[in-house]
Amino acid sequence: MTSDSPATRSIFSGRPLRILIGFILVVNGMFPALWILFTSLKTEAELTVKPITWLPHAPTIANYLRAFTDQPLLLFLFNSFMVAILSTALTLFISVLAAYAIARLQIRGRDLVLSAIIAVSTFPLVTLLVPLFEIMRALGLLNTWVALILPYTVLSLPVCTLILVSFFEGIPRDLENSAMIDGCTRIGALFKVVVPLSAPGVFTAGILAFVNAWDEFLLALSFNSSPTLRTLPVGITLYQGEFAFPWPVISAALVVGIVPVAILIVIFQERVVSGLTSGGIKG
Amino acid sequence: MATASETTLVSAPAEGATKWWTRFLDPSERTLAVLLLLPAAFLLALIIVYPVGRLVWTSFQNLSLTSGLPATFAGLENYALMLDDPVFWETTWNTILITLITVPGALVVGMILALMANLPFETKWPTRLSLLIPWALPLSFAGLIFAWFFHSEYGVVNDVLRRLGFEGVIWFNSANWAFAAICLTIVWKTSSFMALIILAGLQTIPRSLYEAAEVDGAGRIRQFFEITLPLLKPAIVVALIFRTITALQTFDIPYTMTRGGPGTSTATLAMYIHQNTVDFLDLGYGSALAVVMFLLSMGVTVVYLRMIRAKG
Repeated sequence: MTSDSPATRSIFSGRPLRILIGFILVVNGMFPALWILFTSLKTEAELTVKPITWLPHAPTIANYLRAFTDQPLLLFLFNSFMVAILSTALTLFISVLAAYAIARLQIRGRDLVLSAIIAVSTFPLVTLLVPLFEIMRALGLLNTWVALILPYTVLSLPVCTLILVSFFEGIPRDLENSAMIDGCTRIGALFKVVVPLSAPGVFTAGILAFVNAWDEFLLALSFNSSPTLRTLPVGITLYQGEFAFPWPVISAALVVGIVPVAILIVIFQERVVSGLTSGGIKG
Repeated sequence: MATASETTLVSAPAEGATKWWTRFLDPSERTLAVLLLLPAAFLLALIIVYPVGRLVWTSFQNLSLTSGLPATFAGLENYALMLDDPVFWETTWNTILITLITVPGALVVGMILALMANLPFETKWPTRLSLLIPWALPLSFAGLIFAWFFHSEYGVVNDVLRRLGFEGVIWFNSANWAFAAICLTIVWKTSSFMALIILAGLQTIPRSLYEAAEVDGAGRIRQFFEITLPLLKPAIVVALIFRTITALQTFDIPYTMTRGGPGTSTATLAMYIHQNTVDFLDLGYGSALAVVMFLLSMGVTVVYLRMIRAKG
């Protein structure tokens, strides 16, 4: 993603200048997370020294222990993880089916279906807070994973469908057809041939859906307020009391919350970038 | 889709052998397409279409869960109430202001980050990760992290200001400084996504265009405005639509940084909808507020789509 493209070529061709610019980029992107890591390793006493220290003088893991005991952090992680995994699975299943219908089958109004999907992606889900709250209440789903899984699936459905459509269109039809000659049904051919061959696309879509679900805050705050069902972003706001802000402990909890997604991003960085920039549409 | 292999498949069974169940097992293209689109359609009906109808309906109702009374038809009462509600005007104005500041802000910063990341670095992963991490970070986490950044006593921002010889700012006691801190946080958080989109666009611009421009004697700046920017326009407009619509829904960052304070000076429309719905359980009024936000984002989408069509 940083190829020698002419747009900026030779404006800054000097190597020292390039290193400086790279450094600025890295500081911009990483400093907030790094600063939280430093804070999480400081003692309460070190935190109130003025002028403030940057690197922790006597690193301690006490804040991490408190992060897990002051609030049920493990439970928050578990809820977030389950909601994200289940909504990702549901999103992938539904968007694989829809994308196959759009990419492969002759349907009247294919453009209409595609425009509908793009329209959904620009839909402000926040405005549906009241009716979704009422629906979840009427169905007895408030304070369940399902109350979040369903809207999160809708949140990621458009991106995932668009990514999968472009991948499915790149798979030669002959491969499916020969599978069908061998006795596969069309659905069988979809799951045995098309989906495995589109694995990178399915994977990319899955990561985007997971990150979307992992990050969501407002619906989680509104629908799952019961202490045992809070997700991580909601749970992390609870460390602060009315007047007390235990910043080292909050920082430790934030680090714990950042690590899973950071690992995902580090391992699959190229795939995530391609997904974001091809069908990617969430800011 | 009448490919050769399918024709052989269909013609294989003896004539007259097609029973009703074979049609079910091997449905026609159109039936199959409908079946495959059904789960998506059902979910969208449940989570978007029905709720939109319900939202509009509820906005014309007196429906407060705290009163325990059944819903009664209120006509335009909720909307009339809104016009006289100073908090509605303040939160709407804050939302529009956040949009007007942070969308161009993220675009400019994102453009700069993209031009920087487009340099021929020997190792690419550090710059790539530097753009991906802010994108992947939850908004609510960014809010908390920057609340700590802007802490008046022990925050790193004031520390740097003091080292540079300025006075520290008590960010969250003043409406203007709190608002500035929120906007800076939103720009930081959203500019990296802009940068990724713009970067992808930059890399598709063919080198020959710049070489031709150089022959014509166009300088770097002119090349940027006459080649780079026009060619990036489609990618930028799409990114702007989504950024603007999410800016209108701003909730997480002000909620985690200031809870809307001091007073309601940094509260957004989304926060006011949330408060009326979840805290006050006034579903009628909450719905009317949401209808306003819905119209705002519809308006934005229509304007952008017109811009795309008008200029091709």
